[in-house]
Amino acid sequence: MTRYLLSRVGQAALVLWAAFTAGYILLQLLPGDSVLIKFQNPELGLSPEQIAEIRAYYSGGNPPLVDYLHTLLGFARGSFGYSIDTGTPVVERLAEALPETAKLASAGFLLAVLIALVIAFAAGYSRTSWIRGALLSMPSLFVSVPVFWLGIVLIQVFSFRLGLVPVIGGSPAQQLILPVLTLAVPISAPIAQVLARSIDQVYTQPFVPVVAAKGASRWWILWRHVARNAVLPTLTMAGLTIGELIAGSVVTETVFGRNGIGRLTEQAVNAQDTPVMLAIVVLAATVFVLVNLVIDLLFPVLDPRLEVAA
Amino acid sequence: MSSSTPRSTIAAGVAMLTVVGLLGACGGGGGPVQQASTDGKPVYGGTLTYLEHQPPTCLYLPAAGFYPNGGILNQITDKLTWQNPKTLEIEPWIATKWEVGKDATEYTFHLRDGVTFSDGTPLDAEAVAANFDVYGLGDDKLKLPVAEFVNNYKRSEVVDRLTVKFFFDKPSPGFLQGTSVIGAGLVSKKTISLPYEEQCQLKNIAGSGPFTVKNQVIDKQIDLAARKDYNWAPKSSQHQGRAYLDEIKVIVTPEDNVRVGALTSGQADFVRYVQAYDEETVKSAGHTIYAEPTRGVNNGLYLRPGNSILKDLDVRKALQAGTDAKEVVDTLFTPSYPLATSVLSHLAQGYVDLSKELAYDPAKANALLDKAGWVRGADGIRAKDSVKLQLGVFIAGPQPLSKQTLELIGQQWAKLGVKLEIRPADAGTQAVDIKNAEKTALAHTMVGRADQDVIKSQFHSENRDVILSQDEKLDRLLEQESAEPDTAARNAKVAEIQRYVIEQGYTIPLFEEPQVYGGAPHVHGVAFEAVARPAFYSAWKSNQD
Repeated sequence: MTRYLLSRVGQAALVLWAAFTAGYILLQLLPGDSVLIKFQNPELGLSPEQIAEIRAYYSGGNPPLVDYLHTLLGFARGSFGYSIDTGTPVVERLAEALPETAKLASAGFLLAVLIALVIAFAAGYSRTSWIRGALLSMPSLFVSVPVFWLGIVLIQVFSFRLGLVPVIGGSPAQQLILPVLTLAVPISAPIAQVLARSIDQVYTQPFVPVVAAKGASRWWILWRHVARNAVLPTLTMAGLTIGELIAGSVVTETVFGRNGIGRLTEQAVNAQDTPVMLAIVVLAATVFVLVNLVIDLLFPVLDPRLEVAA
Repeated sequence: MSSSTPRSTIAAGVAMLTVVGLLGACGGGGGPVQQASTDGKPVYGGTLTYLEHQPPTCLYLPAAGFYPNGGILNQITDKLTWQNPKTLEIEPWIATKWEVGKDATEYTFHLRDGVTFSDGTPLDAEAVAANFDVYGLGDDKLKLPVAEFVNNYKRSEVVDRLTVKFFFDKPSPGFLQGTSVIGAGLVSKKTISLPYEEQCQLKNIAGSGPFTVKNQVIDKQIDLAARKDYNWAPKSSQHQGRAYLDEIKVIVTPEDNVRVGALTSGQADFVRYVQAYDEETVKSAGHTIYAEPTRGVNNGLYLRPGNSILKDLDVRKALQAGTDAKEVVDTLFTPSYPLATSVLSHLAQGYVDLSKELAYDPAKANALLDKAGWVRGADGIRAKDSVKLQLGVFIAGPQPLSKQTLELIGQQWAKLGVKLEIRPADAGTQAVDIKNAEKTALAHTMVGRADQDVIKSQFHSENRDVILSQDEKLDRLLEQESAEPDTAARNAKVAEIQRYVIEQGYTIPLFEEPQVYGGAPHVHGVAFEAVARPAFYSAWKSNQD
């Protein structure tokens, strides 16, 4: 187990390094740079020579490889440099944005799981084929709804028409309701789909008729026997939705005017603020790696058969 | 935010009592109370929720032209002089009077006594001199660039505590108006001596304006609070003393329809950047559209003679004649966007009507292109020496409906056999290619400022230089305009320049760009500076809820 853990942690470190390096190289390859974008503002009227001077001041004039190693070491020590766009330390900007996104993403994820469970269980339990069909087609519908559009429709209906939740002002909890719903709907789709399908698969296994023959009720079979066996692939899927959570938060935060990693990403990309973008890439990779590590470690806990194999 | 509830409840209560009292006095009694105070008498108190389209960027004052920046800085800073937006006359503000000497190479300003910055330091001659030394000369050590609105600056001199004198190398007739622009907001000596990066940050800006910054959540919200001791509004302002409002909440709301929906559903009081297609929604909900003119160089396409196709005057003239600006305005915009009749707005100083020269004439356009040797190919696009008549342009983020405008013009040009290659603007590519006439043959842009110098800002090779000018004659004309102390002669020069840039086919003016705001019916007294940035000093709310 310790060896397994060590090798997984090693893999995680490797993934992070690869994400950092790929991010670093790709950001260097982009045309233009943040200094140019920021200082070519015509009102400032700077000449190309002056802009080159400012650039040298920011970059320290190191050769690319030295700069790469310097940045890598900085990241390893938890120092991400300064945002070129605003001049503030990147750590500060992340610290401001992260809690907001964490709130949004975790609430969105919980709601997504809840929606997925309801859909999958209802479909698994139901014997009426059209209800089943309707329930099972919901994930496809959810996943095809653009987050952007959904957010706007929710705002228009619940806030502007019905006046149930304010979008401007309002308490922090009120401000979370619609964004969380917006984020949860598309995230719930893959989870529901995988769960519903693996419930179906487990139903075809020979032990199900045996349990039924012993007199177990339909609910008991679904809850005690089928669901427990169906949850593993779903967990993997849930881990993968982290990526969508981050992508979804970019749109959600922009539509709702919320502060967070998503908005920060959008602004950093617009201003081509390399240090901020790099920090976000590494942050996203870290979250992704951590969540998947936790899920892999949970597997043996949930399914004793896997522990023997490990 | 939740903290505002008790106060606004009290305020609402007070307002109700007032109304009930009034009704009682009129002997009306018993009628339903519909709305508080519609009698037009300003009320103190309340919070104005103002939705901004974009977060402010760097708040170093000379960079204040960006509307989100100006919307904040206009509330927290004052200027030496005030430009009356109706008459465009320069009137006293922090400077009570001034003398312009020796062909506009010397200016003396006499300052109002008792004005202080929000950090407690006095707004005196020394502070003013320190401000303009930076705006006029820049500061290499602090990385502070020169301001666009000061030309030919030499030095300042503190004559006494309340008198300051400025000297110029060459006549600088635009300087007086320059002291009234948004970028000339005065900040404390401490602020102006900070390095660029620090002056970019709102928390470091100490101005003398009617509001001060109370709280900021970066990129999301800025809360401004009225300065209780404010007592130095422009002399001609009807309102004196502190601002009516207690507070302004500036909330960044990037989504167009969220801003408009929040306004019409009563969640916001005032919003900036109402799109043309949303104006009707706002009006039909009983709200007000404020389409404020920007009085400068019109929204249009600026043609770059450095491009190997556009170096031919006939081609430039053909594109000018073959663009139907009226169709653009009628299809995409509203009456808030007046059709351009020159390269300058009809409210700009020195404007001349050149609508005849700009008339839409596709036959002339085709004839000019034929004459220039461009022949239609099988795909309908003209070519010459196997080079296609294809021109690149970036979608301009700051211009309203830039993409749709360019697409429509692209259709008009396709009829002439010209292909307009419309490129989406990612910041990096644009930053690199915008100065490349070969890749970016045209720029879609405008600039606002209520002074003759605005045309120089747009065209001079050392200013914005939107056409990447190689035209020495044009530079010389612009310099003459900028150094002409006599207003009549200066306006004549501006007229000559307008004719010249249109004759040379450097520009295809489309419309006079406004800044469009939406306001709730209970918001009164919002004023705008000459280039349409809002001033909330005299604003008040008649429903104090």
